[in-house]
Amino acid sequence: MKQIIHILKYKLISYIRLESRFTFGYFVKNIGSGLIYFAFAVGAFFFSQNLIRFLLVDIHIGLFLLHEFISMIFFIFFMSVNLGNIIVSYSTLYKSDEVNFLLTKPVSPSKIFFLKFLDNYFYSSSTMIMVLLSMLAGYAFYFKINVLGFLLLLLNFFPFMFSAGSLGVIILLIIIRFANRYGMRKVFAALGISYFLIILIFFKINSPLSLVNSIMKQNPFFSRDTYFAEFLPPIVKWLPNNWLSQSAYRIVKNDISGLIGFTYMQIALSVLLFTVALYLGHKWYFKTWLLNSKMTADQNANRKKVKSFFSFEKVSILKSQTEAIIKRDLLLFLRESSQVIHSIVLLFLIVIFVLSVSGMKFVGFGNFYLQTIIYLSVFLFNLFFISTLSLRFIFPLISLEGLAFWKLKSAPVKANNFIKHKLIVISTIILIISAGLSFFSNYKFGFLLTIFSLTVTLFAAAAIISINFGMGGIFSNYKEKNAIRLSSSQGATLSFLSNIVYMLFLIVMLFKPVSELFLSIMIKKYFDLTVFLQALIPIGIISTIIIYTYLKIAYRSLQKDF
Amino acid sequence: MLEFKNLEKKFGNFVAVNKINLKINKGELFGFLGPNGAGKTTTIKMIVGLLSPTSGTIFLDNIDVWQKPLKTKMKIGYIPDQPFLYDKLTGREYLYFSGGLYNIAKDVLKVKIDEQIELLKIGSWIDKRTEEYSQGMRQRIVIASAFLHDPDFIIVDEPMIGLDPQSAFLVKRLFEDKSKNGITIFMSTHSLNVVEEICTNVSIINKGNIIFSDAIDRLHDLKKEKNNNLEELFIQLTNEE
Repeated sequence: MKQIIHILKYKLISYIRLESRFTFGYFVKNIGSGLIYFAFAVGAFFFSQNLIRFLLVDIHIGLFLLHEFISMIFFIFFMSVNLGNIIVSYSTLYKSDEVNFLLTKPVSPSKIFFLKFLDNYFYSSSTMIMVLLSMLAGYAFYFKINVLGFLLLLLNFFPFMFSAGSLGVIILLIIIRFANRYGMRKVFAALGISYFLIILIFFKINSPLSLVNSIMKQNPFFSRDTYFAEFLPPIVKWLPNNWLSQSAYRIVKNDISGLIGFTYMQIALSVLLFTVALYLGHKWYFKTWLLNSKMTADQNANRKKVKSFFSFEKVSILKSQTEAIIKRDLLLFLRESSQVIHSIVLLFLIVIFVLSVSGMKFVGFGNFYLQTIIYLSVFLFNLFFISTLSLRFIFPLISLEGLAFWKLKSAPVKANNFIKHKLIVISTIILIISAGLSFFSNYKFGFLLTIFSLTVTLFAAAAIISINFGMGGIFSNYKEKNAIRLSSSQGATLSFLSNIVYMLFLIVMLFKPVSELFLSIMIKKYFDLTVFLQALIPIGIISTIIIYTYLKIAYRSLQKDF
Repeated sequence: MLEFKNLEKKFGNFVAVNKINLKINKGELFGFLGPNGAGKTTTIKMIVGLLSPTSGTIFLDNIDVWQKPLKTKMKIGYIPDQPFLYDKLTGREYLYFSGGLYNIAKDVLKVKIDEQIELLKIGSWIDKRTEEYSQGMRQRIVIASAFLHDPDFIIVDEPMIGLDPQSAFLVKRLFEDKSKNGITIFMSTHSLNVVEEICTNVSIINKGNIIFSDAIDRLHDLKKEKNNNLEELFIQLTNEE
């Protein structure tokens, strides 16, 4: 324990020194960051309150359905933290220089595992924890939960997140062992398919639509606030996300005796998973570390020389410099397995989302206000997707140049051209996905809204891409090689929060034209197209200013000393 | 010709390079000596565009490096002290990438790469990914990449780190040949033997100030005064400051 505290002490000193340089620029950056964090926390707080009010007061879904929807959101969070932890843990536990250093010292691998486990959990999940905490505060405020109730909520929430992280590490240790026997590709493919099936099965057996229908049938015989446990598939009741949402429900209902059981199970599960993770870490970590080194060495030794589709030796129609940068980026991306796996996961989520929204029919037809709210919610989800993609693939672009950036910086490459070449491929892909998302979530609303939404979405996508690229420049960290860690860093969180501010601006701008369109359809009145233009012009101007400003910021960041 | 005029670099209050003036003529193999932290790498980074000077100017064939960066970068081949490469690219891919940055036509580039492979004897592992390379192998790839575009100036920072004796010998001969062919080589090092062996001119920098600058023969003369011990002379010079 003494040794662990000793190492933690120096890790903390190094972190504090790195994060507390007393220069004017640094001071301004930190004050700005603090303000954005604060604004976002307040925003999330009010957003969750208003959302709950809308669902309970305007749509009357009742407490049971509300908590079941919350349970589904928790499930997605659990899966995200879990999968994120597997990917990030791989680089922190098996590819880190710090581990290589500590392994040469008389520090037991179990201790290294413990240190890196904590390091990784708090690093990769901090943004998500902050988002959820702000929303939970909004939830507590809406239901007027007292301090003790809120603390009880947190007592359920933290073990839940911790379970997700521990399970991720357990799965990783098992993966490495299996990979040695069956090969890395097969094991990762099996893992991908398993996650796909788990999500599919979860929503198949716990379909929100069937649940809503079942509850609606009970109306008006029972209050929608009653907990209809019998409508839940038995397996769902054994999932920690359900325990968490049930705990929240019991806190709202002031049913402490009902809460204790869930809290107990939540904590017991997290202790169990953490203990299993530590036990497996103790038993397997060093073995799997050696296995991983052996597998990497075998892979390198057996790698055949295959001419890639993006081979540099092929003749290209592009200019030499353009070709060099684009091909390098593509090759580096395709050869980094974590990048490819994460892209596939996100692509899969996009396909699921597109399939869901394209089949969506209007709930509450005849209520133009409700239609507007639903429409804007779907629009906001689209923007969140675009933002997630940008954060994941655009934000790390400059940092991923890495320490080898000296080559490009000392070569005769114009900074403008560099930005163009870096952005061209990935931005095009994100713009195409954005256009697809916009089209599939709009085509049922007619030609006019489809075109309008497509225009706004493309402006938004370009602005969000620029924000993330610029912020990636400001917070560039050439020493970090892992794109996922980069996109969950402090800078990335700030970038995400900046995206949200812009997204809220768009929602505010869209409310009037969209609601007027729905009203005109409802009362069969002529719709004046200038209403769309009145929104489109400021959106276009502000988006263009944002694009210019953030690209300029990226340009300036490239001029910095290296 | 490479020339520094009142070149200065400050990091906050710390003066890394203190208004230095130097002139290196065409074809010189110039040794830039100094202890750790003397300002050698900072100076080099300012020449190649990685650090901007706080004040002063650097001229490359009478062109201000920071006024016309693209033009001057075309003339420079840079070999850093730490040979960071892209782990997932092979050595050959890295060379194609490097050549592409200088807009070398593909057919010409292919010939140049083959020449460098032959010259630096890197053919047996050039198609492996650089993540498998040792420090010396990486260094040789970086050296090869610096020569692809036929630069007039080679700016090299501690070239011998990680090189085995054969490779070090090869690189020294390469620099000598290039220098004889009119290429100016600006080489920072703290290896006194290398300077003594191949350099034509030498400067010593300490705590950001140039404390000695002359032809190598002058250094040899001073060495004789110190019982032929260059190390002792170097320590004396750098301690006097």
